Amino acid sequence: MTCVVDPERNELKALRSIAAWRGRRVIEIGCGDGRLTLRLASLGARVLAIDPDADAIRAARKSLPERFAERVRYRVGRAGRLSGRKQSFDLAVFAWAL
Amino acid sequence: MVHALREAHRVLVPGGLLVDLRPAPEHRRVAIARGGREVHVGTMRESFDDDHAADRAVAWALHEGWFALERRMRFGCRRVMETVAEFREWVADFDTRRENPSHEWLALRLERALEAAGRGRRIVASGPLVLNVLRKQDGVRGAPRRRGESVRGAMIAIRRGPRRRISPACGR
Repeated sequence: MTCVVDPERNELKALRSIAAWRGRRVIEIGCGDGRLTLRLASLGARVLAIDPDADAIRAARKSLPERFAERVRYRVGRAGRLSGRKQSFDLAVFAWAL
Repeated sequence: MVHALREAHRVLVPGGLLVDLRPAPEHRRVAIARGGREVHVGTMRESFDDDHAADRAVAWALHEGWFALERRMRFGCRRVMETVAEFREWVADFDTRRENPSHEWLALRLERALEAAGRGRRIVASGPLVLNVLRKQDGVRGAPRRRGESVRGAMIAIRRGPRRRISPACGR
């Protein structure tokens, strides 16, 4: 598969412009195969990424680079019932998921 | 969608940010690119029911005082594919999820266009993305609201963007 999404990295530029991500606790809802998750991790965020699709989560875990292993956790989960405790994240990202 | 926004409100710290990133409800243009030039092949015919439902959910969350809209951005996003098989796979995925009409007509058109274009060509699907930034408020259902905070007013706000821009710092 050679499909490339957003080769200009406009998404990343926009995300960078809206917040200081370094060290922030982020929950990403609807992470799919983790494409955006890795971009958030590259900005320095600590990400809990969830998606209802177990296959997508499996694929995301498999392709998680070693350098982000400490910063990213993937979980199967639904947006309507998040696993986080009350007030436990600085940012919530709905990635093409609303 | 409203449940998801309520959950996000629950897990966010006071003043935390909710980032809503998704394609704008506009039909994507599909082209063949070669050597820096793009030749338009067709325009997709997606359904935007989900997008409008998402807008309504966000408007409801604003109306209820859970969040305040701080910023709205719009920018282009391209998806570059090498083969029609990749295009078909991508389209099949979201056609199923969104109950779109079939785009097989476009795949067939792309096959012909690729054949004519020769080597070094790519398929490019492009369309705008929107990014809404909402800041968590301590809204209480039924609390008195300011003028313009009706659901309709909120819908207008999320389509046009907020009245003012804010500092990029996220609350913690």
